[in-house]
Amino acid sequence: MPLRFHWRMLMGGEVSGPTRTAMNSRVETGLPDLEAQIRFCRSAEEGGIDSLLTDFGFSKPDPILLAAALGMATEKIKFIVAYRSGLLCPTIFVQQLNTLSALIDGRFSLNIVAGHSPQEQRYYGDYLSHDERYARTEELLSICHSLWKHNGEVSFSGKYYKLENARLNTPFVSRERSSPEIFIGGSSPDAQRLAINHGTCWMRIGDAPEKVRPQILPALKAGIEVGLRMAIIARPTREEAIDAAHSLIECLDVEAKDEEKEKEFVRNSDSVSVKAVYGLETEWLTPYLWTGAVRHIGGTAIALVGSPEEIASAIMEYREIGITQFIFSGWPKLDEMVYFGKEILPLIRRKEQVFSRAHSS
Amino acid sequence: MAEQTGLLSFEAQTDFCRRAEDCGIESVLMAFSFTRPDPVLLSLALGMKTEKLKFMVAIRSGIVSPTLFVQQINTISAMTGGRVCINMVTGHTPHELGYYGDFLPHDERYARTDEFLSICRAFWRRDGEVNFNGKYYRIENGKVNLPFISDETTSPEIYLGGNSQIADELAVKHADCLWRFPDAPEKLRPRIQPIVSQGTEVGLLVSLIARTTREQAVLDAHSLIETVGAKSREFQKEALRRSDSIGIRTNFKLAESNESEWLTPNLWTGAIPYLGAPAIALVGSYEEIASAIIDYKQIGISQFLFMGWPDIDEMIVFSREVLPLIRERERESGTQGHPDRLRKIS
Repeated sequence: MPLRFHWRMLMGGEVSGPTRTAMNSRVETGLPDLEAQIRFCRSAEEGGIDSLLTDFGFSKPDPILLAAALGMATEKIKFIVAYRSGLLCPTIFVQQLNTLSALIDGRFSLNIVAGHSPQEQRYYGDYLSHDERYARTEELLSICHSLWKHNGEVSFSGKYYKLENARLNTPFVSRERSSPEIFIGGSSPDAQRLAINHGTCWMRIGDAPEKVRPQILPALKAGIEVGLRMAIIARPTREEAIDAAHSLIECLDVEAKDEEKEKEFVRNSDSVSVKAVYGLETEWLTPYLWTGAVRHIGGTAIALVGSPEEIASAIMEYREIGITQFIFSGWPKLDEMVYFGKEILPLIRRKEQVFSRAHSS
Repeated sequence: MAEQTGLLSFEAQTDFCRRAEDCGIESVLMAFSFTRPDPVLLSLALGMKTEKLKFMVAIRSGIVSPTLFVQQINTISAMTGGRVCINMVTGHTPHELGYYGDFLPHDERYARTDEFLSICRAFWRRDGEVNFNGKYYRIENGKVNLPFISDETTSPEIYLGGNSQIADELAVKHADCLWRFPDAPEKLRPRIQPIVSQGTEVGLLVSLIARTTREQAVLDAHSLIETVGAKSREFQKEALRRSDSIGIRTNFKLAESNESEWLTPNLWTGAIPYLGAPAIALVGSYEEIASAIIDYKQIGISQFLFMGWPDIDEMIVFSREVLPLIRERERESGTQGHPDRLRKIS
């Protein structure tokens, strides 16, 4: 299987590299900008991107509906729809997803996240602790899988959900699968367990290959894929890439106090990975893995920085340790994605051929 | 347009919606049931294929966080120019509610709906963070970035379905319009009067069988029952047995206990035992149906949600033959304000 590359969806009004705090405080982020977003989807299709991640958050449009609108306007591109447990009853969740599948030929997968901000969870009426949210997500996914098996009525009596003889007449529709692929995000042991039990791929925030390798072994042994979320800053030469990385931080609005707000966000978060990435002390975890933007933009801003050749090699190092999927982002998202598709992806595909020959002989 | 198989027939539905636009229908009801595709998704998808039509999204409390619901409705509004409104229903069959993990009895479901709508409306007011501490929902500093987007309003119109006393109270408190099943105008008048006088509209949920002559309409009404036959009757009996809805029970009682199947010369209960409570129908010539609708208008009914067999044919006949007569009568009587508003079940 060739490596699969996904990208984060462009948000409404997103120009360059706004920080988490800036995005959350702007009304435009919540407004879909279908014209720009459809253009972004088409560029992704042309660039060999597999899926686009539509995030869930109070500051954004609903990702299921966004995926429906964008999927109806495109042909190939898939979507990774992020959702949390505790927002809606599992039966209606599956009903919405099945309806989505019928509208866009099943071109989506799910990214189930446990939520990382207790404050934001409360906007939605969710008061569970970190560990309990995982337990509830476990129940949610059990029910979803049962409904997707579609072989009779589903009854479930758990701590968080109780259903009696549930059934749905609208099935999941796709040429390839009978249920969507499920990405599970998070780096806690709970997240790993959930991914192994219910997911098809465990998504983690990027780190140095030698650190990632031992952590992902159990998941790989259990037969699920492991993917990384990170950003890319690629330029023709390494020097230019590093300059771009540094100027990214310099360009951030000092007035907006993003650094302080991000600090506040992390302090209030109960996510293991958010705290872990924020706590990284070294600016360069490997010659190409840069943490410099994390404290301004958030954990997924951990970035591969370098020339196309360097980044392609770095990605192949992850391939060596068993990583098979990536969700990338960039600043600006569109330019970086187009550059990736044009300059980096062909290098990776060539390296993959060498890699698979080496591994098959 | 029955979607009982649950499979999406998107092209047919898109055609139906475009036809409804041509017919001067204002909105289509997107019903909620385990037998159908999800109405939120479907409203967005159909909204993107149409220009004028509004989508009335049916929603029950107890299956989704009110915050998420507002976020979803606002997302649809942003993508369709605000062509979305909501039809709050409370559920009528405990058996099906159990599919969705909802085990509350009838009156408690209304109490939860009250909380649900209080929260939704607080979000739509957009006057700060939403805090709510109720029996069923607790929201802390709630916010949703995306506002409801429309040229006309800052929040979607809220329809509420129900025929019990508790539904009346809830409609007055939260809704723009209450949907009821019809009865003879003189019986309906005292029951809707208190609602209308408090500023909430009342609309009727009713089927139509309109033909060139009364004879033809009555003939078609009877042949409709013969076509669906005894099997549907068994199915409806079972549905009735499982329901705890006041409106559904009342309609069946009307159909069974009345000496005549005709509550007025044009209001027919004969199809209810075969096709369910919403099959209470206005049957007659174009002229008679137009008059019957004007009679309802005179007692304060201002909106109608129609069904037909098949929906699309009845909608076209209504638009071509009945609607012009209604508009003419409205002009003649010089009624001020909005013309009657028309909705269609999809």
